[in-house]
Amino acid sequence: MDPYSSSSSSSGLSPQLSTEDFMDQVKVQLAQAYAEEFLETVRAKCFDKCITKPGSSLSGSESSCVSRCVERYIEATGIISKALFRSSS
Amino acid sequence: MDPSKMNSAELQQFLNEEKQKAMVNEMVAKLTNVCWDKCITGTPGSKFSSSETTCLTNCAQRYLDMSMIIMKRFQSMH
Repeated sequence: MDPYSSSSSSSGLSPQLSTEDFMDQVKVQLAQAYAEEFLETVRAKCFDKCITKPGSSLSGSESSCVSRCVERYIEATGIISKALFRSSS
Repeated sequence: MDPSKMNSAELQQFLNEEKQKAMVNEMVAKLTNVCWDKCITGTPGSKFSSSETTCLTNCAQRYLDMSMIIMKRFQSMH
């Protein structure tokens, strides 16, 4: 008997999709959703910080501010994560 | 282990674990968003100052403390 058909009927998945494939898809889609949300937040934050008076083009100082801002936001995410899980008293 | 032999209980456990991870990520993202606004007041530099780093750490931990107070307050309402 085909092992996939029994597993898919017990887990209620479509016959073409193995459990392993399904779990991979869940992980990929969650990671994509997280990345999209993160990018959107960084865009909003760094636009606020660095493009204070939008001109006819992006200036050099604005672009370098954006680069630093993105790096700092990633760093801030790490600091917050550590603060939450290091001493959750 | 042959993944195709996983039963629905194991699948359920996998989904619960992923849900937990997603909630943790969500919490970190939310707090970073809030604490960034509170602590990073100037233009982002090439390094965080020590006061910015401390502020971010305190901000996250105090948010947790506050959450506990609010939760207790609401629990005592009925």
